[in-house]
Amino acid sequence: MSTDTTLASDTAHRLKTELRIFDCDVHPVPQAGLVSLTPYLPAAWRERFARKQAVHDGLNVPIRFKHPNGSVVRQDARTPEGLPPASSPQHLVADLIEKHEISGALLNCFEAGGLLSVQASTEESIVLAAAYNDLFIEEWLSVDKRLKYAAAVPTQDPVAAAAEIRRVGKHPQVCAIFIPLVDLMMGHRYYWPIYEACQELDLPVFIHVTGIESIFTGTPTMGPGTFDGYLERYTVIPQIGMVNVNSLILSGALERFPRLNFIFAEYGFLWLPSLLFRMDRTWRGLRHETPWVKKPPSEYLHERFLFTTQPLDGPDNPLHMQQLIAMLGHDVICFSTDYPHWDNDMPGTTLRMLSDDARRSVFYDNAARVLRI
Amino acid sequence: MAQETTPTRVGKSSDFEPGAIALVEINGREIGIIRLQSGELRAVLNYCPHKGAPICKGFIGGVWQSSGPGDLSFDASQDVLVCPWHGFEFSLDSGRELCWNKRSRLRFYPVHEAEGDVFVSA
Repeated sequence: MSTDTTLASDTAHRLKTELRIFDCDVHPVPQAGLVSLTPYLPAAWRERFARKQAVHDGLNVPIRFKHPNGSVVRQDARTPEGLPPASSPQHLVADLIEKHEISGALLNCFEAGGLLSVQASTEESIVLAAAYNDLFIEEWLSVDKRLKYAAAVPTQDPVAAAAEIRRVGKHPQVCAIFIPLVDLMMGHRYYWPIYEACQELDLPVFIHVTGIESIFTGTPTMGPGTFDGYLERYTVIPQIGMVNVNSLILSGALERFPRLNFIFAEYGFLWLPSLLFRMDRTWRGLRHETPWVKKPPSEYLHERFLFTTQPLDGPDNPLHMQQLIAMLGHDVICFSTDYPHWDNDMPGTTLRMLSDDARRSVFYDNAARVLRI
Repeated sequence: MAQETTPTRVGKSSDFEPGAIALVEINGREIGIIRLQSGELRAVLNYCPHKGAPICKGFIGGVWQSSGPGDLSFDASQDVLVCPWHGFEFSLDSGRELCWNKRSRLRFYPVHEAEGDVFVSA
């Protein structure tokens, strides 16, 4: 019942605005977790994972960080046969793309993010990244041209990551490179081989919350100590976005890689005005410490970054939301659903207070500027 | 430039060396006298257009330049006044902030030298 109501509302609104929609954050999963990767693993590695009974079909976090309702995925998004949400490309196309008249979606595998950042060893992460990428290219991208993919890389070895980018990055539906972050700020030279390969292939860097930050050693950390639960940790994840915008700009990495763009998924965006005011003001006074930052930090942000809209925070008053986005500029945000996760935002109920021009930018044009869609 | 008034003698020419800022008071205004590298003098109101700091208690700096991360060079040929509070840099040539497109600028007063003395109209 509620699905039908949402659908009707979506359609009516789109007809009014003739809105094209690209969804920048969708999470497919291999149907049987790591077991589904088996055909894509070299024989010796297949044996290794079987021997150690490696099963990874979710975040595998300690219980204090488990979602209070049991799962981060919407149980209503299971397939009619009862398969896990977003585990079938045909069902995802029907349930997301067709139902909401979305013209394309950027897939990134959430589970791969956690594994490749720290949950798998360095050597394991290299073969797993290749297996994930091969699986999604072969079993998903071939199903529908509207499906695009952010190929995942083994961040623990930047040289291997660069090689993986060059191996899969020329596929026409590979539109971005997903870097699962480790505990180094993104402006650090450690990442340069990855950035070099991305720039060479004209692919933007895509980063996404991995769900294990500040839970496992080696992940980006947020504050001292241990969070007490899912909610307490979830609410401050924007810190990671903030730290990395700051680092990328002030390190000079954007001057070193002048054609490289960045998409930050699920870190929010309403904190940006505050950060930019501080960055610009401090740069004005202390820029001689980083003379390789050649213009006000806010200029780099508008030229080189996009932030996904979901999870959409904001004031209840739509006028205040309009003002906040006007303060930031709608050129730096791009629509995302985060399907099939629990906190997803669907197009018919997202940022309806914006002008038609702004909605066109946010729902399609900004993504089209950065992604080859 | 401020409206011209009767010039006030503020010292001997030899009192003002490049790289130093000498503070004088004229008609209730604190003014910094600065000799540029070219030998020319500037008389600058001791007031930062950003937040009102006593900017002439800052320092004279050059300009750091870079071709990219890690590469650093220093251009000492430019006369730049750096505020002691927030560090904003102002050109002593134009009075404008070096790297920000802001309309506010340093306030300069007419200054001239005659027979070994320095005079400021403020």
